[in-house]
Amino acid sequence: MHHMNLDVNGMSYPITADASRNLLSVLRNEVGLTGTKEGCDDCECGACMVLLDGQPVNSCSYLAAQAEGRAVTTIEGLADGDDLHPLQAKMLELGGVQCGFCTPGMIMSAKALLDRNPEPSEEEIRIGLSGNLCRCTGYAKILAAVGEAAVEIR
Amino acid sequence: MAITDTPRFVRADGPDKVTGSGRYVADLTLTGMLTAKLRYAGIAHARIIKIDVSAAKAIPGVFSVLTADDVPDLRYSPVVPDRHLFAKDTVRFEGEVIAAVAAINAEVAQQAADAVVFEYEELPIVADLEAALAPGAPLVHEDWESYDVTGDTPRDRNVATFSSITKGTKEGVDAALAAADIVVKQRYVADGSHAAPIEPRGVVAQWEGNKVTIWTSTQVPFDARNGVCETLQMPSNRVRIIVPHLGGGFGGKCGFHFEAHIAALAKASKRPVKLVFSREEEFLAPDRRRESMIIDLETGLNADGTIAARRGWVAVENGAYTADSAFFPQLAAMHVAGPYKIPFVHIDSSLVYTNHQPSGSVRAPTAPQGCWACETHTDELAKAVGMDSVAFRKLNAIDTGDEGVVGQVYGEIGLQQCLDTATEMAGYGQDLPDDEAIGVALGWWPSFPGASGAFVRLDADGAGQIVTGAQECGTGAVMTLRQLAADELGMDPEDFEIIYQDTGVAPYDTGATGSQTLLNNGRAVVAASEQIAEQLKDHAANMLEAAAGDIVLANGTAHVAGSPDKSVSIAELAEVAAGGQMLIGKGSPVPPEYPEIPGMNCVGDQGVAAWAAPQFSCHAVRVRLDRDTGVARVLAIACAHDSGTIINEIAAHGQVEGGVLMGIGQALTEGTVYGEDGRQQNPALLEYKLQTFADAPPISTAFIQIATAEAGPRGAKGLAEAPNVPTAAAISNALAKIVGQPIRQLPMTAERVWEATLSIADDSGETA
Repeated sequence: MHHMNLDVNGMSYPITADASRNLLSVLRNEVGLTGTKEGCDDCECGACMVLLDGQPVNSCSYLAAQAEGRAVTTIEGLADGDDLHPLQAKMLELGGVQCGFCTPGMIMSAKALLDRNPEPSEEEIRIGLSGNLCRCTGYAKILAAVGEAAVEIR
Repeated sequence: MAITDTPRFVRADGPDKVTGSGRYVADLTLTGMLTAKLRYAGIAHARIIKIDVSAAKAIPGVFSVLTADDVPDLRYSPVVPDRHLFAKDTVRFEGEVIAAVAAINAEVAQQAADAVVFEYEELPIVADLEAALAPGAPLVHEDWESYDVTGDTPRDRNVATFSSITKGTKEGVDAALAAADIVVKQRYVADGSHAAPIEPRGVVAQWEGNKVTIWTSTQVPFDARNGVCETLQMPSNRVRIIVPHLGGGFGGKCGFHFEAHIAALAKASKRPVKLVFSREEEFLAPDRRRESMIIDLETGLNADGTIAARRGWVAVENGAYTADSAFFPQLAAMHVAGPYKIPFVHIDSSLVYTNHQPSGSVRAPTAPQGCWACETHTDELAKAVGMDSVAFRKLNAIDTGDEGVVGQVYGEIGLQQCLDTATEMAGYGQDLPDDEAIGVALGWWPSFPGASGAFVRLDADGAGQIVTGAQECGTGAVMTLRQLAADELGMDPEDFEIIYQDTGVAPYDTGATGSQTLLNNGRAVVAASEQIAEQLKDHAANMLEAAAGDIVLANGTAHVAGSPDKSVSIAELAEVAAGGQMLIGKGSPVPPEYPEIPGMNCVGDQGVAAWAAPQFSCHAVRVRLDRDTGVARVLAIACAHDSGTIINEIAAHGQVEGGVLMGIGQALTEGTVYGEDGRQQNPALLEYKLQTFADAPPISTAFIQIATAEAGPRGAKGLAEAPNVPTAAAISNALAKIVGQPIRQLPMTAERVWEATLSIADDSGETA
């Protein structure tokens, strides 16, 4: 068993877990934040996307122990109290959410995209989010939401 | 009645979903909960010699290991009861469950599942649909004649159900084809595919005394409950199904399956038990796959381009067991016949057993494949008679008042407007580069009226609750219910919370299947709200000293018509009512009637030859082909839909856009690949390619809104499945123009397109 301190959404969690455990499983079980989803456990769907020091990572394929000493941000860490992040608000307002299972990972990827490129073109949004599968929306309304959120953040 | 401005619509479950606070089944944990693993057969067809669980049971941390010996010995399924919960005597596909394990954690559970000893004798595999129908073919179900089938469906050996549709007589069709000026005859072959929701399914079961609560990712909570009751022999009031948020279904989570296995494990273990599928299991074992099909079509034309007659033969893959697929043959027959004026039609259609995963209602079952065949064929007909394919459809497609392929005469419908609108939006007819073309296809799909119930109540503070049996799978249909209630009561949609997806508290609804939620449950919510509106008006009439008939409910108040100042708030009325006769409405209205067809002579009628409130569509898609690689790219797609009145614009557009993308996947990349051993070879997202953000084209949508009689609230029809119907067909017709001949295999993969391109020496691609 491995002892570690995980910094998740600005809070420090002392955790004991097998060194082979992935970050997704530790976030969902030991940390107790289930907003990050498991869709494939194979880096194919993006539902488990979190930020590590601001970089998007498929948490299914990243060891929890490797995240020690780095800032982990999950979907639960995005809103400021009751105030939704513009990405969350625009996803709601423009119909970018249907079943919602891909939504947390999609929003985290979009956050990473806008952090490094505050004025993305439509093509840059499409490519930036191509690691996140959505089966419901056809992506059109997510595209609009990310575009409008970018404008609002600027 | 005030109609809510839908562009402001924000779904009630939205905040949960964007903040990560929403719970799906995999997110649930109960004290003492065990982990379940299923042991699958791993072989397509075999006689069971022995299943020995003693070694598995001996592993420390294992609470229970169940097989067919541990549950009631009975066959189940809605129409053709041909399966057991656990394999008994024979396994008929690789994903068949032979044992289920509950253990202290996932590792121990998997170890125990692997430790189950399974000895078997291999049987010949039935994989090919035509071979399955040959005399002397091995039987998937040797005891097929002994099954206790409901209804009247012809069956024979590997044919699980059979239907035909006929207009005129079979002999009349033969004569008309013989007399036709031009006859086109072709075969179209579609592979199976998968629903592939992003949430893999999960089930949690917990017993308290003799009652079980099951949290499950089902689209059909009441079907799931009925399945548990049937297989575990329990009354319906001791089984409660709760669905937390559902992470998509697309039909893959219809029907009943694993709820009873997990309930049985929980009972035997005296602990709550949880099952969550891996992605591989979601491909191999969900029991709901889109069926493969073989379609033969032979159509006779008159010299003026009108269709004289059509003969068809369809084989629909059932897989190993008959789930809700019993009605698929008739539905498939309707789709290959198409929304056309054809005087003589005869289609024979069989549901064929194979040793593959069972088929089930994946988003518009049989329709994308049937439509793809019919509409690819339609372009071939137009070419044969020397007509433009859109002009050919204008001439032959049904319109208001026309008689369709089984003799049903349609009321006001918008198919011709869909054709005009979509082709105009796509710029059909413009000059295009020779590696591009615009393909056009028409689609149709029935609505399914049925029983459905809801309660609506206003509590003392005026806050509303809608308690509904309906199931939200992401479409927003359940979310739209509060808009309907609010409009009836002159309130704001946000005044209502929705209590849903719980068979313990709400009346029956069919579930998120058949695009029927708004159509049926919407009517129930309106009916329940109307009862409350009457009560509010009576109270207001007393307080305002006016006649109840003069009271208007609007903007959160009740006022006297013509005197907006003479008013009382609905909250005040609710407070008054709470002290006496409470504001509780219940809705379960009589469903709209199915149309009758005088003199219809369909064999094995499964009730889907006469379509209630049919939905129509036209998609026009612009495609570019890289001839060197066979890779097709969809550049843009224009969609026109007649789904009756649109109640929620944002959600409706979302349904079309999502359906189109699923259709592009079916057209180009999504197909189950089977090995010689009858096992799936691509059960992973890397090998089974869904469309990504980077693949998605711009999608433009228009709704031809006709308030339809005998349909849903305000004349709404269904919508969720319809956009999935004509997309692959439209892509096929674009590709055929570029390549010079149709790709008569689905999916039209790069390899298949490339091979077709090679076979055309002179590829003088037409422009649309």
